[in-house]
Amino acid sequence: MQSSPSMLTKFESKSSRAKGIAFHPKRPWILVSLHSSTIQLWDYRMGTLIDRFEEHDGPVRGVDFHKTQPLFVSGGDDYKIKVWSYQSRRCLFTLNGHLDYVRTVFFHHELPWILSSSDDQTIRIWNWQNRSLICTMTGHNHYTMCAQFHPKDDLIVSASLDQSVRVWDISGLRKKHSAPTSMTFEDQMARANSNQADVFGNTDAVVKFVLEGHDRGVNWVAFHPTLPLIVSGGDDRLIKLWRMSETKAWEVDTCRGHFQNASACLFHPHQDLILSVGEDKTIRIWDLNKRTSVQSFKRENDRFWVIAAHPEINLFAAGHDNGVMVFKLERERPASAVYQNQLFYITKEKAVRSYDFSKNTESPSLVSLKKLGNPWLPPRTLSYNPAERAILVTSPADNGIYELVNLPKDASGALEPTDIKRGQGNAAIFVARNRFAVFTRATQKIDIKDLGNSVTKSIKPPPETTDIYFGGTGCLLLITSSLVALYDIQQKKQLAELAVSGVKYVVWSGDGLYAALLSKHNVTIVTKSLEQVSTLHETIRIKSAAWDDAGVLLYSTLNHIKYTLLNGDNGIVRTLDQTVYLVRVKARNVYCLDRSAKPKVLEVDPTEYRFKLALVKRNYDEMLQIIKTSSLVGQSIISYLQKKGYPEIALQFVQDPQTRFELAIECGNLDVAVETAKQLDRPQLWTRLGAEALSHGNHQIVEMTHQKRRNFDKLSFLYLSTGDGEKLARMAKIAEHRGDFTSRFQNSLYMGDVQNRVQMFQELDLYPLAFMTAKAHGLEEECQNILEASGFTEDQLSLPTMGKPLQLAKPVVPTHKSNWPVKAASHSFFEKALLGEVGAIEDDTAPTANGFDHGDATVDEATAKAGQLGEEEDEDAAGWDMGDDINVEVEPDFINVDSAETGPGSSEADIWARNSPIAADHVAGGSFETAMQLLNRQVGAANFAPLKPRFLEIYRASKTYLPATVGLPPLVNYVRRTVDEADSRKVLPIIPRDLEVIANVDLQEGYSAMRSNKLDDGLKTFKRILHCLLVNSVSSKAQVDEAKKLIATSAEYATAMAMELERRSLPTEGDDNLKRSLELSAFFTIPKLEVPHRQLALMAAMKLAFTNKNYSSALSFANRMIANGGSSRPLEQANKIKTQCERSPQDRIDIEFDQFAEFDVCASSYTPIYSGSPSTVCPFDGSKHHSQYKGHLCKVCEVCEIGAPASGIRLFIS
Amino acid sequence: MDPFSAEGELLNIHNSFHQGQYQEVIDFDTSKLSPDNTLPAQVLKWRAQIANGQAKTVIDKLAKGNNSPDATAVKAFAFYAQGQSAVAQEEADKLVATSSENPTVQLMAGTILHATGRSDEALTLLSKHQGNLEAYEQISYSLLHSVINRTDLALKEVTAARKWAQDNLLVNIAESWVGLRVGGDKYQQAFYVFEEMAQTPSTSAAKSLIGQAVAEIHLGRLSEAEAALQQAMEKEPENVEAIANSIVLNVLSGKDVSELTSSLQSISPEHALLTDVQEKSVQFDQAATKYSVKVAS
Repeated sequence: MQSSPSMLTKFESKSSRAKGIAFHPKRPWILVSLHSSTIQLWDYRMGTLIDRFEEHDGPVRGVDFHKTQPLFVSGGDDYKIKVWSYQSRRCLFTLNGHLDYVRTVFFHHELPWILSSSDDQTIRIWNWQNRSLICTMTGHNHYTMCAQFHPKDDLIVSASLDQSVRVWDISGLRKKHSAPTSMTFEDQMARANSNQADVFGNTDAVVKFVLEGHDRGVNWVAFHPTLPLIVSGGDDRLIKLWRMSETKAWEVDTCRGHFQNASACLFHPHQDLILSVGEDKTIRIWDLNKRTSVQSFKRENDRFWVIAAHPEINLFAAGHDNGVMVFKLERERPASAVYQNQLFYITKEKAVRSYDFSKNTESPSLVSLKKLGNPWLPPRTLSYNPAERAILVTSPADNGIYELVNLPKDASGALEPTDIKRGQGNAAIFVARNRFAVFTRATQKIDIKDLGNSVTKSIKPPPETTDIYFGGTGCLLLITSSLVALYDIQQKKQLAELAVSGVKYVVWSGDGLYAALLSKHNVTIVTKSLEQVSTLHETIRIKSAAWDDAGVLLYSTLNHIKYTLLNGDNGIVRTLDQTVYLVRVKARNVYCLDRSAKPKVLEVDPTEYRFKLALVKRNYDEMLQIIKTSSLVGQSIISYLQKKGYPEIALQFVQDPQTRFELAIECGNLDVAVETAKQLDRPQLWTRLGAEALSHGNHQIVEMTHQKRRNFDKLSFLYLSTGDGEKLARMAKIAEHRGDFTSRFQNSLYMGDVQNRVQMFQELDLYPLAFMTAKAHGLEEECQNILEASGFTEDQLSLPTMGKPLQLAKPVVPTHKSNWPVKAASHSFFEKALLGEVGAIEDDTAPTANGFDHGDATVDEATAKAGQLGEEEDEDAAGWDMGDDINVEVEPDFINVDSAETGPGSSEADIWARNSPIAADHVAGGSFETAMQLLNRQVGAANFAPLKPRFLEIYRASKTYLPATVGLPPLVNYVRRTVDEADSRKVLPIIPRDLEVIANVDLQEGYSAMRSNKLDDGLKTFKRILHCLLVNSVSSKAQVDEAKKLIATSAEYATAMAMELERRSLPTEGDDNLKRSLELSAFFTIPKLEVPHRQLALMAAMKLAFTNKNYSSALSFANRMIANGGSSRPLEQANKIKTQCERSPQDRIDIEFDQFAEFDVCASSYTPIYSGSPSTVCPFDGSKHHSQYKGHLCKVCEVCEIGAPASGIRLFIS
Repeated sequence: MDPFSAEGELLNIHNSFHQGQYQEVIDFDTSKLSPDNTLPAQVLKWRAQIANGQAKTVIDKLAKGNNSPDATAVKAFAFYAQGQSAVAQEEADKLVATSSENPTVQLMAGTILHATGRSDEALTLLSKHQGNLEAYEQISYSLLHSVINRTDLALKEVTAARKWAQDNLLVNIAESWVGLRVGGDKYQQAFYVFEEMAQTPSTSAAKSLIGQAVAEIHLGRLSEAEAALQQAMEKEPENVEAIANSIVLNVLSGKDVSELTSSLQSISPEHALLTDVQEKSVQFDQAATKYSVKVAS
C-alpha cells in the first residue's frame, strides 16, 4: 500500500466536529452539520461561508439537500427533523416523532419523502409535503446509525449497532401513496396476499435481507449507484462489501486496514472504488474489484466521522473533529500538448489521441497507456517531439515515473506501444530534437537524456526545485516555490532568474517569444529571456491559459475566460459554467479540454481585446475594421480610451454631447467641440471652448464664443489684434448704442478715432480731457469749440508741451481673414479613415484610358473579368488545336548526358538533366547547351538572346550555399521541386516563377498595363510571360493546359499591343498613314482579349473611325460593343454613335478591313489573313503569319522560328 | 577520456567553434584548463581568429618561436587564409611529410590541400586520423564537395562516426550536410539540427542561421527561410553566404536581386554564385550562336 503525500484538497473549513455533510447537486455548495448545533452552508469554490442555521438544540448529525427544490433537511440530538429553505434562510417546519437522537436524514430522489434513522431503533419515512409520518420501520434492536434509499429501486438499507445491516423493501409504501386509481381490486388482493405482514401487520416496509457479518456495531451503509452492491463499515474496523440478487444477499469480501472504528463509507460515483473514513484519522480508497487499498490519507489529529460524494463532479467531502475538507481523488487536468495545428492529449481511458484544429476532428486512439503507472492515477504531463513523433508522459504513480513512447504514423486504435523507454522522475520534457530532461524531486537532479534513455549529462538545479518546464530551445525553466530560473542546458549555467512564487504551469506563445507563468492566483508574462513583462492577480483560482496568434493571452479561471494583453490590460471574455483547460485560441474559437478530457470549442467575442491590442500596436486599420463591423460601444471602452490617451478615438464612440465636448477639447477637435457646445449652449462651455480655440489660433471660433458670452471688451481686443477694422467700428457703434463709455473710449482708442473720443468727453462734460485730446491731435477747431463751450480761453490754460500725435498702426497682414494655419496632420489616420478619406486607396485601379481618347471608360473590369475569362480562353485553346500532340517523340527529347559512374560521383545538376526532357530542368542543371537543343526541337527556338535573363534566373535559383568548414568554400546543394523525393532518379530542380506566380502576378501586371494604357510596359510584360513559360515546368497535366492557355493569351495581348503601338508611332500626316492607322485600329479589335479590354480597343477604333467619317466601320464597332455588353457608360456612347452612323453608313476612307469576313491578323505584317488563305504559325506561341514569313523570327515571342518543325513544348513529366 | 565528450573541458569552446561563434572562442578563458587541453584550446583559438579574418595577427604571433607541428600547421593555414596559397602549400607539404599523424596537421594541411584543388591528397591525409571527429567532418565535406561528390561515401563516413560518437555536435552537423544532399525526409532532419543551434540563444550564430535558412529553402518554406536569413544578416550584415542565399531565395520568390547582387559583388567578387553565373553567361552566349533563324529579317 502506498500513500499519496497530499490529497488534492480544494477547500478546508475550521469548526467544531462535523457530523453530517451534503453537496448541493448543482451549485458549489456544501452543507455541514456540526456537533455544536450549527449547520453551515459553504461555497467551497470561493471558500466563503454563505449562511449559518442555528435552531437545533445539541449536535446535528444528519443533513441533506433536496435534488431540485431549494430545501434541505437536518436531524439532531434534539430528536427533531427540521426542513429548511435556504432561500428564505429559515426553518420551514419541524418533524417530531423520534424518541432519541436522529442519526441520518435523506431525501428520496423523486418522492416527497424523508428517511431518518434514530437511536430509538426505528427508521422512519416522512412526507415533507403534508408533513406527516408515513412509515415506521422497526426491527433493529440497537441504535440505527444510518439508513439510505436505493438510488433507483424501492429499497432501503440500514445499519445498526446490533451488528446487522438490513435491506428493506418499500414497494408497498410506494403503491399505497401513489394515486389510488392506479390500483385495481386485483392489485389490492395480490398485495394483500403476496406481502408478508410483519408482526405488527405492517406491509408497507418489510425486511428483505438481514446481512450479518460485522462483529461490532455497524456505523454506515450505502448502496452502489448502479450495481446490486452494498458497502458497510463498523466498529470492528472493517469495510464489508455485500452483493444481492432478487432473492438473497451475501457477503463478498472485507477490506481490512482501518485500525480504529470505521465511521462512514461509500462507493465512488463513477469509478470502481470504495472510499471509507474512520476514527483512525484516515481516509482510505479501495479497489472495488480487488478489495485492495489503492490510496490512503492520514490527518494528524482529527478523527473522521463522515464522508460524502458529489453526485456528478469528481469531488468528495469528509467531516472530522475540526471541520470539513473537500478534495479530489485525482487531477482532472488532462495531460496535453499542442504542436502547430494538432493537439495531443490523453483521455480518461488513458489513450493518446490527437485533435486537428483546422479540421476540428478527433483522431482515433493513437496508442494506449493503460500500463502506465497505476490504474487510478491519470498521467500528469505530456510532451511532444515533432521531429521523432514521440511523446513523453509522466505519471505521479510510484513517486513519479515517465515513459517515452513513439506514436504510430497513423492512428489505428488503442494499440499497446511496442517500444517504451521508461524511468523514474517527477517531470520529463523534451528540450531538443533528440534530448529530454527528467527531473527527480527527491534527489534534486535533472538528467538530460537522449532518445535511447541514457543520461548524457546531469544538472543540479537550485535548491527546492519543484518542477521544470521547457524554456525555449536548449533551455529549461526551473520552478522553485519562490522563483523561476532560466537555465541553459548546453552551457550549464543559469541565464536569468525571476522572483515569482508558486508557479504551477508555463504556457509559451506560438512564436516562442513570450511565456505566461501561471500560479494559483497570478499570471506573470515574461519574455523568452525571462524578463517580466506584466503580472496580474486574480482572486479566483487560475486554471489554464493559451495564447492568441496576435499575442494576447487568454486564461481561464474557475468561472471565466479572461484575456490579458502584454501591457497588463485585462478583462473578461466570457463566463464558464464548468472548468475547462484552454489549449489553443484561433480567431473566435477557444479550444479546450474539459474535465473528462474531451476537446471542446468555445466561441468567444475577441472584439474587445483585439481592439485594445490594435490600439496598443497603433494598428488603426484593424481598429477601424473592428469599429465598423462590430458593436463596440459602452462607457468602459470610452473611459479606457480616454485614460490611455486616445481621446480622438474615444470621440468616435460617444453620443452624449457633454462627453463629446470634453473629449473634443481634450483632443483639440474644435469642429466637434463647437457643434456640441452649440447643442448644449452653456456659458462655461463657451469659455472653455474660447480658451482652447485661442490656443489653436482659431480666432473665428474665439470670436463666436465671445459673441455668445457677450464679452465686448474681449471682442474688441480680438478685432484689434486681428486687424479687423470693420468689425471694430461695429463694436464702437454697439458700445455707443449700449451707452458704455469705457467701451466706447476703448474702441475709439483702438480705431484711432479722435473725433469720437473728443465728442464722448464732451458728452460726459469732461471738457479738459476733450480739449487735451483735441489739442494733442491738432484739432484746433474742436479746441476752439470746447473753449467756447466752457468759457475759457487758451491763455488761461497751462499746457504741457506736446509731442506728435501717435500714428495709428495699420495691420500689415489681414489676419482676420483666415485662421491661424494649423498643420493638417492634426487629423489622425484614424479619424481620416473614419471620415472615409482612406477607403478609396484600394479600388483605385479605375482605368485612365486617356490614350484611347474617350473620356470615361470606367469599365467594370473586376466583374467582367471573372465571368468572361474562362469562356474566352476555352475558345482560344480550341482555335490552335495544340492539346493533343504533346507526347510525340518522347524518346528523342531525352538528350543523353554522358556521365562516368566511377570516380567522382555525378553532381545532382547532371542528374537533373538526365531525369528530365524539360528544357527548364536542363537550364537549372547548368546544361544550357542541351536546353537549347531541346527548345530548338520542341518549339523551333532559334534566337536565344531574349531568354538569357530567364536562363540565368533559373540557374541562379538552383543552388544554395551552406557555410561549412572554415576556410573552405561553402557546400553547394541543389534546390529541388521534388522536396519529398530522395531517389536520385526522380529528383528534379526547382524552377522559379511557376505557373501560379505568372498567372497571379505577371499576368495581372500585364492586364493593368492594358487598362492604364501603358502599352510599352504591357508588351514587355507579356513577352516576359512568354519567355518564362517557354522555360518552365509545371506539376500536373491540368497545369499544362493552363500554361498553354496562358501562352495563347499572352501571345494575343502581345500582338494586339504591338499593333496599337505601331499605329501610334505612325506619322499623323498623309492619307496613307491615316488609312493605315484606321486599319491598325480596326485590327486591334481582332485579337482575343478579355472582354473589357476588347471594349477598350473597340471604343478606340470606333472613335477614330467616327472622327474620320468612316461611319460604316464605326457602326460595326459600335454594334460589336453593344453585343459585348458590360458597363453602361461606354455602351451609351456606342449607342449614340450607332444612331448617328446609321444615318449614312458609309466609309470616307476605304480601308483593308472587311467587317463581315472571318480573318486573323498576321503577327508579322499586321495585315489580315482571311480564312482559307495559306498561313503559318509560330510553333511556340501559336501566332499566325502569312506564309511568306515562314523561316522568319516570330515577332511575338522573339525566340522561335515561324513554321519550324517542332514536337511541341514540354512542361511536365508524367 | 575524450576531451570533447560531454563532460570534457573543451566541449564548450569546441562547440562554439563549430557553431560559428568565433568571438566566444577567442574570449574563452583557457587559464583553468588542464595542461593536456591547453594546446588544443589554443589551436581552436587561433583557428577562430583566422575565421574572424585576423589571419595576420595569428601569423605574427606564430612567426617567432613556436615550432610545434600544431602551430606550424595553423600558421600554414593562416597563410592560406591570407591568400598566400603557395607558401601555405609548401608548408603543408612539409608537414605532411614530417608529422602526418598529428591531428591538427591533418586538419589544416587537409584543408589547404583541398582548397588548392588537391582533394585526393587531402582525403588520403585525413583518412589517417585516429578517431578524430573533426577529421570525420572534414572527410564528409570533401566527399560532398563538387570535385568528388560522393554522397554515398559521405553517408558511410557519417554513419561510422555516429556509431562511436553518438550525437556529438560535429556528427550532427556533418549528418545535416549529407542530409541536405540526400533530400526527402533528411531535409527536415537537417533543419531540426540547424534550427536547434540557431534558435538557442546561447549558441545562435549567423552560420547556423544560414544553415537553417538553407534547409528551409530546400523544404520549400520560403517565407521562413527569409526570416532566418534576415536574422543572420542582423548578426552579420556582411556575411557572404547570407547574401548569396538571399539572392537565391529572392530569385525563387520572384523578387528583385540587383541590390543584393551588387553588394555581394562588392564584398566578395570571387563568390561561387557570381563566378558561376558569369561563366554560364559566357557559355550561354556561345551556345546561342549555334542557332539562327533560316531567314534573317
